[in-house]
Amino acid sequence: MIRRLDASLLILLVAFPILWLLPSGLKSYGLYVVSLWLVMSIAAMGLNLTLGYAGLTSLAQGAFLGIGAYATAILTTKAGWPLPAAFLASSALSFAVGVLLGFPALRVKHHYLAFVTLAFTVVVFLVARNEQWLTGGVFGIANIPRPVLFGSDLGAALPFYRLLLCVTLVLALAMWWLLKSPWGRAFLALRENAVRAASLGVDIRAYTLLAFAIGSAYGGAAGSLYAPLVEFIDPAPFALSASFVLLLTVVAGGAGSFFGPFVGAFFSYMLPELLRATGGWYLIIYAAVVLLIVMISPTGLLGLIERWRDHRSQAKAAAARAAAAPTLGAASGETDSLGKGATQ
Amino acid sequence: MTKTTCSTAIALTTSLAASLLVLGGTAQAADPVKLIDVIELSGPGAPAGTNWKNGVDLAVKEINAKGGILGRPIAVTHYDSQTNPGATRAAVQRAVDEDAYVVLGPIFSGPISASMQITQRAGVPQIVGGEASAFTKQGNPYIFRTSLNQADAMPKLANYLRDEVKAKSVAVVWVNNDFGKGGRDAMIPELQKRGIQVAADIATESGQADFAADAIKVKNANADAVFVYLNEEESARFLRAARQQAIAKPVIGETTLLGAKVIELAGEAANGVKGHVGLLVDAPKPGFAAFGKTYQDAYGFTSDHNGIKGYTAVYTVKTITERVGKFDREAFAKTLHGARIDVAQEPGILIDTKWLENGDVDRESFLVEVTDGKPVVKATLPMINP
Repeated sequence: MIRRLDASLLILLVAFPILWLLPSGLKSYGLYVVSLWLVMSIAAMGLNLTLGYAGLTSLAQGAFLGIGAYATAILTTKAGWPLPAAFLASSALSFAVGVLLGFPALRVKHHYLAFVTLAFTVVVFLVARNEQWLTGGVFGIANIPRPVLFGSDLGAALPFYRLLLCVTLVLALAMWWLLKSPWGRAFLALRENAVRAASLGVDIRAYTLLAFAIGSAYGGAAGSLYAPLVEFIDPAPFALSASFVLLLTVVAGGAGSFFGPFVGAFFSYMLPELLRATGGWYLIIYAAVVLLIVMISPTGLLGLIERWRDHRSQAKAAAARAAAAPTLGAASGETDSLGKGATQ
Repeated sequence: MTKTTCSTAIALTTSLAASLLVLGGTAQAADPVKLIDVIELSGPGAPAGTNWKNGVDLAVKEINAKGGILGRPIAVTHYDSQTNPGATRAAVQRAVDEDAYVVLGPIFSGPISASMQITQRAGVPQIVGGEASAFTKQGNPYIFRTSLNQADAMPKLANYLRDEVKAKSVAVVWVNNDFGKGGRDAMIPELQKRGIQVAADIATESGQADFAADAIKVKNANADAVFVYLNEEESARFLRAARQQAIAKPVIGETTLLGAKVIELAGEAANGVKGHVGLLVDAPKPGFAAFGKTYQDAYGFTSDHNGIKGYTAVYTVKTITERVGKFDREAFAKTLHGARIDVAQEPGILIDTKWLENGDVDRESFLVEVTDGKPVVKATLPMINP
């Protein structure tokens, strides 16, 4: 486990300068799509913790994305807060709401938990749509500002992308540390067998609440970055479908895999844009790809690599067994001849 | 385990690098005039967006057949907005990166609000199909409409309810999105100003399938008339539910309720519906009839108002560019503010149209009644400020 996480850390640190420099030649469209990939990767990282590591089926990540986005939009446009303060407040708010939502998770599991979180997502959507005095209702909130940090304006596409990259790195490092820590192992124990985990002294109640709360805080953080990225929010992007897409993101990337959210977000948010080159067919092709992946590899895209590795190691083992067969055969031949001799 | 992670890293890096190459390699210079149409081709706005797209294609084909704009052919590209603000923003960013001369669309107000800052920053004119009133109030000099602002249409309709229908009370049924809420918020004060009581104020959902409960509420309200402000498919479903509940009071609407798609989907239940329409292929203007026939021949169905909007948007680009005499986006935007295009000068505009300083349009409109499955124009209303 430690070797794997250390390799993950290495990849994060190597990927950072590449991702810092590589998109500098892109125009605003390319930068927007790559920025959206980063933001949705953060949301998916949170759901990956809740679903992939702790095994709690949640359909509320789209709602937390919305809570973070609305909190940031309201604080920056109406209260005049700077984005960093709004970011922290939005993440903290999502954490607190996540703790509250975690309580039902103590009583129900699997698809019943999915129904509870689904209802929560609908409630958040209705609040965003109907409480016009606070959220702008169906007309949304426009002109959400991008940040100015230490006197430098990060509103242009490239500086804002690089800010998002830094935040993603920090949150990914925090997630890496969390998963490496005893907390991460406790989450895994919770997923594999809650009763056994409890018998080993893992506080089920505390870790279930924490899994929800931390996952939700990541969703809120992503929403807090989504609002200034798009500069306009209305309730539509945080409806139930957003939670389903995020669930697809985690499952398609590889639930319970550290890089699964990044691969899944690429698949869910960048691939449809790349497929636009196919004209009117792009959504049909995308849907076909989703079906194929789910059929071929229910464990996600990274699961394909795992399966390929397993297949290779099995093939190697089979080859080793085959190579060892003559020796074994010779040994058994001796026995046979001895046996036969004895019979004779 | 390390091998797995390394394989993952290689796969990630390769796919990301390939993606960045694709995303970065989209800009290109071209001799034709580039119009990029960001429009609802999937999601709830698809029926409206498909009509708009067809109208745009028809106009481009006609203009190119006559030599293009100032001798240059038009190259139009359609990008699907998915009726989603985030996807629309990405598509409009792409349009700006690809050096669009003018961006056409979208129609739904949320996607317009999410994308109009991009064209404003880049100084690219954007001609949209939205009717919600909010986005032309923000002082954006690059946003232009193709249809009447709903805030301008509602006073005409309230007068109609008072003077023609003689209604003392009205039940209002609206769709709870930016289009429906905007219309409802504009209509109710107009009714109250004229002493008409709002007997029921019924919000419905976008994409709602069953309107039986809403139709019963309307019936129980016992108002003198029903004002319906829903999107196309929902309008048809409501009309069918109203017919099943035997609602005998006049059903009045604005543009969408009397659209060709609604009449087709609602069938017999659409008969007797009345209302105010900004653009209609059956309007008593020769240009509309010719356009309606060409559209029908090309696509096999009748265009609704969105098809006309898309068509006239391209002719607006042509006429204003020819007035400017060159392809200059800033001059285009300046010229279109306060411009008036008459059919006598450019038949493709279909109806005399004037643009106000905020990008709104002013033009004649029509009072219509559906009779035997066809919209029949009963009266033509003049421009607000001719």
